[in-house]
Amino acid sequence: MTPPPMHDPAELASSPDVDVVMSCRVRLARNVAGFPFVGRATHPQRREVLESVRAAVGTDEAALGLAGGRIAAEGQQGLAWLDMPALPKRDRQILFERHLVSKQFAEGDSPRAVAITRDERFSLMVNEEDHVRLQVLRTGNALRDAYETAIRVDDALAERIDFAFHPRFGYLTACPTNVGCGIRISVMVHLRALRATNEIEKVKRAAKELHLAVRGFHGEGSESLGDWFQISNQRTLGVSEPDLLEEFAGRIVPAVVAYEREARRILMDRQRTLLEDRVYRGIATLKSARMLGLDETMKLLSAVRLGACLGMLPAVSLDRLNALTIQLQPAHLRAAHPAVETEDDERTARARVCRAVLGEWPTA
Amino acid sequence: MAAPFRTCDHCSKPAVVHNTVIVNGTMNELHLCEEHAAQAGIQMPGAAPIKELLGQLAQAVPGRPRGPACPECGHPFADFKTSGLLGCAACYDAFAATIGPVVERAHGGATQHVGRIPPSGAATAERTAAVQRLLKELEACVAAEQYERAARLRDRIREMRAEGAPEATP
Repeated sequence: MTPPPMHDPAELASSPDVDVVMSCRVRLARNVAGFPFVGRATHPQRREVLESVRAAVGTDEAALGLAGGRIAAEGQQGLAWLDMPALPKRDRQILFERHLVSKQFAEGDSPRAVAITRDERFSLMVNEEDHVRLQVLRTGNALRDAYETAIRVDDALAERIDFAFHPRFGYLTACPTNVGCGIRISVMVHLRALRATNEIEKVKRAAKELHLAVRGFHGEGSESLGDWFQISNQRTLGVSEPDLLEEFAGRIVPAVVAYEREARRILMDRQRTLLEDRVYRGIATLKSARMLGLDETMKLLSAVRLGACLGMLPAVSLDRLNALTIQLQPAHLRAAHPAVETEDDERTARARVCRAVLGEWPTA
Repeated sequence: MAAPFRTCDHCSKPAVVHNTVIVNGTMNELHLCEEHAAQAGIQMPGAAPIKELLGQLAQAVPGRPRGPACPECGHPFADFKTSGLLGCAACYDAFAATIGPVVERAHGGATQHVGRIPPSGAATAERTAAVQRLLKELEACVAAEQYERAARLRDRIREMRAEGAPEATP
């Protein structure tokens, strides 16, 4: 697999709120009518679902309402279909690290496949918890754009696939917590200052009251790695998709962004030296360490990212930092460095990549 | 030599229930066969109704459904309690009484979908039912070894699933 093409610098520069919002995502859950849900389906039934969805989705991005100008201009259209059982474990892990498939999906061996666009901003899993899980990923706070794309694809698919639908419960899903719209809107936010000022628990409490879930870097069940949090809606019934989007993009995300910026301002006002110390120690360690564990690296990158956003490190570019958070994950490292065998080798390779990328940048 | 046994007070069958009852200070002995004991409403130890026995047996055998199950996909409701997952679209109606409040709690008290409706929305329920009818017919054909008809039904089911075509029994 090739290194990640995500976090396009041009897109990043034009995305609003990139200082706090690293990326955003809109996901839809759908099931094919007439088949048991994945957990109850036999292997032949799962294969039948997979083949009928694969035939309906095809490989034509434009026909799904997906072709973006940039990609189309380069003539790189075409969805790539990857059969999970046929993929080596490391490649599946790479897809998971890039947020293109879930952990549960990457680990299973029953009939399942994922369709991915070349720019990796769209993926569609067949036979995850539900028959169809499609997602649109965007850099920065571009929720409205992600939402519109997801709805266009849903419209195109509904012409070709008969989705399980109930007049009362809406789109039916294996888990009743996803019924109704079957939509999950989420943002990956970097809340370093809120965590440093011990305000993060307040955010979590407020989120709970608003029926929002706050999770870690890799979603459900993942620990928060280095101050990145995924915030998403939990309610999907009794509320329309546009209303959910409006609540999220119009109220919740701006409030979280403003709260984090305020915490950063307070830190700069009251504890500037302490803050600078963390940032410069962070980049110094990343530039000179010989062995780096994943948790430690993510924490150091988090400090460096904050410094870059606050203008302390003018030479450090956010797109490279964003790409690093993916590139330094275990499977990506092992793919780029085939000689890596032990965990110590992995830590050594991680430190080498950090030195190579960050060594180019002057620190002060 | 067989051991002597008492016969039923009402017939010549061997008595299996022996009761001593005291009414107004007088002691009366009661000897009844299985049938007459049941008529008298006496529950015999170790002689639970056959349904109950089968139910207990089903519980004792791992992997056998326990309690209510979805009539369409056979998903036992007990599995939903442990995994939080349902088996098929029909489970939502089969377990409506229990699923309803669960859904309500998960969605802040909401009980009714107000969002997008797929173009097939109205016809979906009918089509699902039609496919299920064909599946049952297919099962019966296979059991009766009517393989040609079964093959035709199988193809029709595949067509309906793949195309979302309007249902009609072949």
